[in-house]
Amino acid sequence: MSTVVRAEGLRRHFRGDAEPVRAVDGVDLVVEQGEAVSIMGPSGCGKSTLLHLLGGLERPDAGTLIVGDQAVDRLSEASWARLRRRTIGFVFQAFHLVDQLTAVENVELPALLVGTSRRAARRRATELLDRLGVVDRAGHLPDRLSGGELQRVALARALVNEPLMVLADEPTGNLDSQATGEILQLFAELRDTGQTLVLVTHDARVAATAERLLSMRDGAIVEDTRLDGGLPQQTLLAQLAGWEA
Amino acid sequence: MAAGRLLVGLAWRNVRHRPWQALLLLLALSVATTTITLAMALVDVSDRAWDRVSQATHGFHVDAGDEISPDMSPAQRERVRAGLARLGDAPGVVAVGGPWREAQVDAEIDGVPLRLRVEVRDAGPAAVDQPLVTAGHWLDDREGVVLEDGLAAAAGLRPGDTVTIAGQRVPVRGAALTVNVGPYPTDQPAWVWVSPATAARLGTALDEGGYSLELRLADRDQAESFADAHPQVNDTWQETRSETATDIQDLAAVFGVLAIFVVVLTIGTAVILVAGRMAAQIRQVGTLKAVGVTPGQVTCVLLVEYLAVAFLATAVGLAAGSLLTPPLARVTDVLAVYGAQTPPITWPRAATAFAVTTAVVVLATVRPALRGVRRSTLRSLASNTRPPHRPGRLVRAITGLALPVPVWLGLRGANRRRGRFLANMLGLTVGITLLIMALALHTGVEKLRQQGLSIEAPDAISRAADIANQGRVSSLGFTVAALLIALALINATVAAVFAAQDHARNHAIMRTIGATPGQTVTAFLVAQLTACLLACGFGIPFGIVFYESIRGGILDPIGLSALTYLATILATLTLYGLIAAIPARLLARRPITPQLAYE
Repeated sequence: MSTVVRAEGLRRHFRGDAEPVRAVDGVDLVVEQGEAVSIMGPSGCGKSTLLHLLGGLERPDAGTLIVGDQAVDRLSEASWARLRRRTIGFVFQAFHLVDQLTAVENVELPALLVGTSRRAARRRATELLDRLGVVDRAGHLPDRLSGGELQRVALARALVNEPLMVLADEPTGNLDSQATGEILQLFAELRDTGQTLVLVTHDARVAATAERLLSMRDGAIVEDTRLDGGLPQQTLLAQLAGWEA
Repeated sequence: MAAGRLLVGLAWRNVRHRPWQALLLLLALSVATTTITLAMALVDVSDRAWDRVSQATHGFHVDAGDEISPDMSPAQRERVRAGLARLGDAPGVVAVGGPWREAQVDAEIDGVPLRLRVEVRDAGPAAVDQPLVTAGHWLDDREGVVLEDGLAAAAGLRPGDTVTIAGQRVPVRGAALTVNVGPYPTDQPAWVWVSPATAARLGTALDEGGYSLELRLADRDQAESFADAHPQVNDTWQETRSETATDIQDLAAVFGVLAIFVVVLTIGTAVILVAGRMAAQIRQVGTLKAVGVTPGQVTCVLLVEYLAVAFLATAVGLAAGSLLTPPLARVTDVLAVYGAQTPPITWPRAATAFAVTTAVVVLATVRPALRGVRRSTLRSLASNTRPPHRPGRLVRAITGLALPVPVWLGLRGANRRRGRFLANMLGLTVGITLLIMALALHTGVEKLRQQGLSIEAPDAISRAADIANQGRVSSLGFTVAALLIALALINATVAAVFAAQDHARNHAIMRTIGATPGQTVTAFLVAQLTACLLACGFGIPFGIVFYESIRGGILDPIGLSALTYLATILATLTLYGLIAAIPARLLARRPITPQLAYE
């Protein structure tokens, strides 16, 4: 099994009112190919920031980061963009589809960016939308899609270039329970196909689709657990006690 | 009452929150009201100037005359003079000037032959039409000539110089103003006054001509009915004043056309500013509705804000226009001689200016405001972004072509906010139209200077005066065109900045899926330059049409080369590309995640 991402001593600080906010404070992390990893923690613990660092949407203040076999912590914005289009698929809580493009155009856009022909990109995008059950909405603009449909389109977009890993930030945060269940099913299927996943969530159901759970607090990973048969009792109790309130 | 205070308070807070937008709108509206004021005030200034000189010279109300011929005997001439003089006894006449002998003679000034109209006057002040001396002094018992002020200025003559009249060298005693005729070269032949001693020396040169009589009436408004009753009357004061106002009326008409351009440009600017503002205030509108403010009251908040700007712009424009009117009016021959004073602000002018600014603001505000208040409250609260326009068939066909990804994204981006795209295109079209007109005007005037021709130029002095006048007018035209082009550039900058803000989120999203900052900037530029290219397509023919409509019979048909048009297109695209690139690059440098912050 090869390493998809390796982070050592990763740090990211933001300017605060009194002193700097240590959003990510010395994180060491290795994700192997085919792993499905969940990251949980209370609000403000730095889990989204960590995900953004892994995907190059934020620059670390310190530490090293290797994606695939490439050191990326000092890459330029343009180089990160070229790397991202081939190796990383993002799924966001707010879906973040380009509002002036239809569903199928949103999905095929990353394929076009890597140089795929228009015809091949359209074919691939349509196949993905069909697989995810929203091909009948392919010609609609995002404002005409429901939350569940939007997230399926976003997932299809993340998968169109067969990325090295999919990074999902609270993928069910904006969905009703039925849509949540559908998306969870999709993530479970992705995990079963061997897609490397890193999911940030505060929802135990989402976390449970992964094989490994990282718990974060105050910018650091405090627990790294393999999920054989459910979440650790500690995590469950913390959630019930309103950890994520 | 409380609700009204709340609405005004909200409007004031909105202005304070984004003061530069209010300032930009104020600037654009003020330019519009200034231009409108100029167009309306110019004719008023001309009439006032004429009235001022008329008052200073005891100007005529009716002008009468009778002709004599060289073969008349002195007794016959005397009968003609006496018959004319009897008009002075007619009912209603309160003052008489003349009858004075007058004739057209050949003259020479600095070797330039020209015709002059000579009037014989004595040293004593006339009860009617006593010319106002502007240089030197009036005639005395000695030989001498006093020149009409326009002729003195055009020929560069000063007291002490000499002119040759009917072969006789005559010393110049001074220069003077009169309303009896328009200043040279507006009225030709030029007018001069000679003393009786000089008239004696001119001898038979004055035998062909006539006598003129100037009368003042108890009621000058009865001049036309007096003229109808007495066939010897040639002109009334109204006719003469109107004729001397021809140039200023032409100038006023040009400013009227310019005002239309400016108003169109201002509408474009206002639409972009208001639409951009509404896009940022969707959530505020939703909040207001959620707490019980009615849609009508919400619309009032917006209108109060912009109507306040309109009111202020009216005041600024009226003041600026009034102050600019005198120097502008002095571009014309008549007022270069008569002078021009700052006109008072009149109610019709103020009402017109306010009506125009209000109309612009209402037109720009109503549609986005209604859209905002009609939008579901929940949707407004959930999102601060209005959904984009759906791509029509034409857009889908164009963007379905095998285009590079940034070009494809750019064209789709152009379709995203059609109203703003069109407003931007409108502003650019006005700018390019003015640029073409200015270039054509420059070429035409230069050609005229090289050829040294003038339509109504019987002599070199008036030809030079005409060309100098055209030069002044064209300089004025270039200055005004440059100002309006600058306004169009401001409009373009505003459009680019708002467009960059509107596209920021989408461009951040594209960067997350692998578009480089260079690609997102290129896509943005494609969207903006599409508007610019279309504007060139419309602006160049419009510029040609408008130039042809204003050149009259004086300037040649438009003579710009194909290379000039191509250079105009390239220069405009380059300049606008630079303007649009700045906000685009600034946004592309911003970190991605803050722009994706959950709304």
